[in-house]
Amino acid sequence: MPGVTSNSGDSSLSIVPHFSDSQKPRIYPLRYHGLIPPLARVSISWARGSTLRVSLIQSDAISEKQPGGEVVEVKLTNMEGGEITEAQWRRIAYGSVTPFALLQSQKNLMDSSHYSKDWWEHVMEYSKEINSLLGNSKSSGNLVIEDPKAVLKKEEEPTSLKAAWELMEIFYADKQSETCIPERLLDWLADYDCLFSRTQPTVHAKLVDFQRELVTLQVVENDPKYWEAMSSALAVGWLDIVVKLLHLHGSYQFDQLGNRETENGLVEAVAVLISKMPRMRPDLPAEKLGECYQTKPEFMKAWEKWRAQITKLDCSAFWLQCDHHQTREGLKNMLQIMLGNTSILSNVTYHWIELFISHFLYIRPFTVGLENMCNLAQKCMHLKPISNHHKLMGLIIGILEENTEVVLAECSRSFGPWMITHALELLTAGSTQAEILLHEEQSKLGGINIEELHRLVYAQVLSSHALTWNIAPIYLTSCMKQGMGLLENLLYRQPVQNHQVLLKSIEICRLNELDIVSSNMMKISGVRNWKHGQKGSAVFWLQQAQDEVRLNRIAKQLFDFVGKSVSDESFKQWEGLIELLGTESKTAGGLKFLNIYRDFRRSLLQVHGGTTSDAAQKAVESLVSLMKNPSTPQRFWLPLLYDSLKLLNWQEHPLLNVSQTHLLLNKLQELSMARLRPDFTNVDLPPEALNSVRLALANNLGRAILEE
Amino acid sequence: MDKTILILDKGTTCTAWNYSGQRLAAGSTDGTIAIYDSTDPASSIFNCTARFKVQESSILKVVWVPPEYGDAVACISADGTLSLWEEVAQDADVLLWKLCICFERNTSQVLDIQFGDSHTCLKLVAAYSDGQVKIYEVLDPLELEKWQLQAEFQNVIDLVSKFGNASCSAASISWNPQRGELQQSSFVLGFTSSVPLLNSSKVWEFDQDHQRWLPVAELALPEDKSDQVFAVAWAPNIGRPYELIAVATQKGIAIWHVGSNPDSNGRLLTEKVAVLSGHDGEVWQMEWDMSGMTLASTGSDGVVKLWQSNLNGVWHEQAILAPSS
Repeated sequence: MPGVTSNSGDSSLSIVPHFSDSQKPRIYPLRYHGLIPPLARVSISWARGSTLRVSLIQSDAISEKQPGGEVVEVKLTNMEGGEITEAQWRRIAYGSVTPFALLQSQKNLMDSSHYSKDWWEHVMEYSKEINSLLGNSKSSGNLVIEDPKAVLKKEEEPTSLKAAWELMEIFYADKQSETCIPERLLDWLADYDCLFSRTQPTVHAKLVDFQRELVTLQVVENDPKYWEAMSSALAVGWLDIVVKLLHLHGSYQFDQLGNRETENGLVEAVAVLISKMPRMRPDLPAEKLGECYQTKPEFMKAWEKWRAQITKLDCSAFWLQCDHHQTREGLKNMLQIMLGNTSILSNVTYHWIELFISHFLYIRPFTVGLENMCNLAQKCMHLKPISNHHKLMGLIIGILEENTEVVLAECSRSFGPWMITHALELLTAGSTQAEILLHEEQSKLGGINIEELHRLVYAQVLSSHALTWNIAPIYLTSCMKQGMGLLENLLYRQPVQNHQVLLKSIEICRLNELDIVSSNMMKISGVRNWKHGQKGSAVFWLQQAQDEVRLNRIAKQLFDFVGKSVSDESFKQWEGLIELLGTESKTAGGLKFLNIYRDFRRSLLQVHGGTTSDAAQKAVESLVSLMKNPSTPQRFWLPLLYDSLKLLNWQEHPLLNVSQTHLLLNKLQELSMARLRPDFTNVDLPPEALNSVRLALANNLGRAILEE
Repeated sequence: MDKTILILDKGTTCTAWNYSGQRLAAGSTDGTIAIYDSTDPASSIFNCTARFKVQESSILKVVWVPPEYGDAVACISADGTLSLWEEVAQDADVLLWKLCICFERNTSQVLDIQFGDSHTCLKLVAAYSDGQVKIYEVLDPLELEKWQLQAEFQNVIDLVSKFGNASCSAASISWNPQRGELQQSSFVLGFTSSVPLLNSSKVWEFDQDHQRWLPVAELALPEDKSDQVFAVAWAPNIGRPYELIAVATQKGIAIWHVGSNPDSNGRLLTEKVAVLSGHDGEVWQMEWDMSGMTLASTGSDGVVKLWQSNLNGVWHEQAILAPSS
């Protein structure tokens, strides 16, 4: 079959694997601006998704004014460009998330026995939702009061993407209309024939031309173009347009009626026949003409009757009384079209697909099987060869040939990763062969199937952009084998210094139970804050990450503070950090010590400020619990006691009771013993510190005994 | 499809993007490093936010430290020194780039470095011009000043051979990008040297039980073992049952499948699945995308090439990006 490959000339770079890539690699220019070749070095780096950054570095020998090089960002398989703008693509991408996710969850709910039964209904709902994102449907904006001479409505240009989606829907998803595929194709062509006009003549182009001339024409029936336009429109089944045009015939005008009665009768008879054409479809939109029949026997009966009426009119004697040559010939020609005259049909259509549709309408109205359709399409293509293939052609041919591989390749090459990812749902619903092919594990691809491959590729495209990366997880989590792996890699590349991104990433991790990934991100954020001097948030994030190693390390740094002068200004900051570090941390054993030490330090500060016995008592309690606590490092014992000299020598009354004093004295004794060991770390204190503490404790003991 | 996002200073010799692609470090001939930043992840406008002098001699290579250890870069200078710089807040929250450590060296020069094992204890592999490979470990996760030498060996498959007078002009290292607690740390390393046995790429894995590095695979067919290696690249693995490693020599870019389970000799099963005729001449660099499906390469022909396997497992050249004004 000719024309299996599409040469649509799209400039986007595709990096999707296909079954065979026999073509030579395509060469894409990397445009740079201020540099002069040759370049000294080219270096590459993948950014998120399928974005490649290329550093082009200038040779050093070039003049002073030249820059040293530039970095070019290349988006591979990007969605922008072509007929749809970047913003529109984003709207489509966001809009399709919900229908896609809903369909996946319905699929998961369904057990396999019900799979085939009503499944297509869900798929149709999905398809309609997606289709509505791709542009306005044709039936909207229908004005009741119309310019009688406006044959074609001016609408926004439809996109090939929407046309492709509807094709997939017609052939794969819509099981209800399986029997009336020709009728649906006819509607489809009515909507999208204009897409083919850009590159070659079509019925649509013909009508547009005629519409332009129509305004200036006085007597339309004298113009051969009037008859040509009507024949063409009739051939492809645009009945409403034909009847509207027929009514512009001069014989309808009041001043003419008397003289051209027969002529007018013939015109009207043809118009009535056209509007009564039997159609095998459940219903028709209001403005469309024809009579609908649901079942084949009814339709066949009506069809025979209708054809008999045409034949009868064709043989009627009234034609002899019609003086107007053009009218007579034109109408006869139209009757021949309706009678299925092959050569006339071929003359009045331009594109093979128009000829194809006309065959369904007038020659083989009962053709439904794909095999027949394919043969017919081949025949039509042979009669109307085309030089410039529209990208939709490859898709149509693939569908008619029932060649899933070609359909896949066309969807992805011509319409991109969004299309293939979403259209696969239609394909798998409609064709068992396609389903098997798409769900078969590809050992050459590491065990994933084609469906998953396309979702992964689409997710990568989404992740390339800061505004769409956050919907990529929806598609990745629908991939059983490698989706989570790619999601992890995507999350690891998120810039955590951006607070919004960090929170969003953590949320994604939570939903997908990726605790290791989220704690890694919190860790990165914590370390970054620590290095940037934001110690509070650093501790917060490291705690969230449960990073005991780094928290312990920070706690150790706080230890170094112990023993420094009480009035130290940085105490406040330090105090806050301990608060943050909390006591929950299990392995950070020193933290309990730090907490009590903070209380001790606070009370001590109050004592130094004024002389309240209350604060002094509290400080002493903290001191005792510090000394009792096994996690208090030995090296801090003496500094703690030395700091408490004022408490030990409290003037009003001894603050420590006998047993407390004994405890502290014992610790002091232990410390003296430890000093003899080689691993003892000497603290930076005045040499008389030990003695003054001992003296104070002895003094306190004496007073305490007296008091008790 | 393509757009210029950054203009580099005159004299730029090398560039490196950080993990998120939000920061670029560019080294230059006068021994300075310039840092370019984009504050908003949605924008692609980059401004130079810092510039600091590393050395008097030109900078050959810049590598970012994994983000779990802060914002820091390691640089190799033309005189063969290796130094580590990090961005920290000084007084009043002013961010400054300060020198953490300048690794001591003897007469040999550093050819390539790569960081790995960021989830447990950060390691740095450095390949030297005398054919030595050194692995350093950071001692304190919050301080990049203190490193200790964990291992030192030569890139040979039988651990007995030693080559005293090797002279190497280039080396390429690539860590297994897989993260996770269970993953053994491993990397692949190849040389361009005067000693044929040092050249071929070998996969090194850390043996936790014996606390030593072992060569677990050699990525060269018997007849290619002495081929000088231009570049190696270990692909991210998002779920394949095997690892994928690209090795570039003058014979082209070879794609290797490496199994995950060792045989009785402790060697991993390897299979060369493709040899791609790469660039005319030397291959400068190879990078895998984040799915590990597409390989990008650059070389002395000045173009960027993209490589991919089709659904039948056949590797082929997918596209060429050719710079043009």
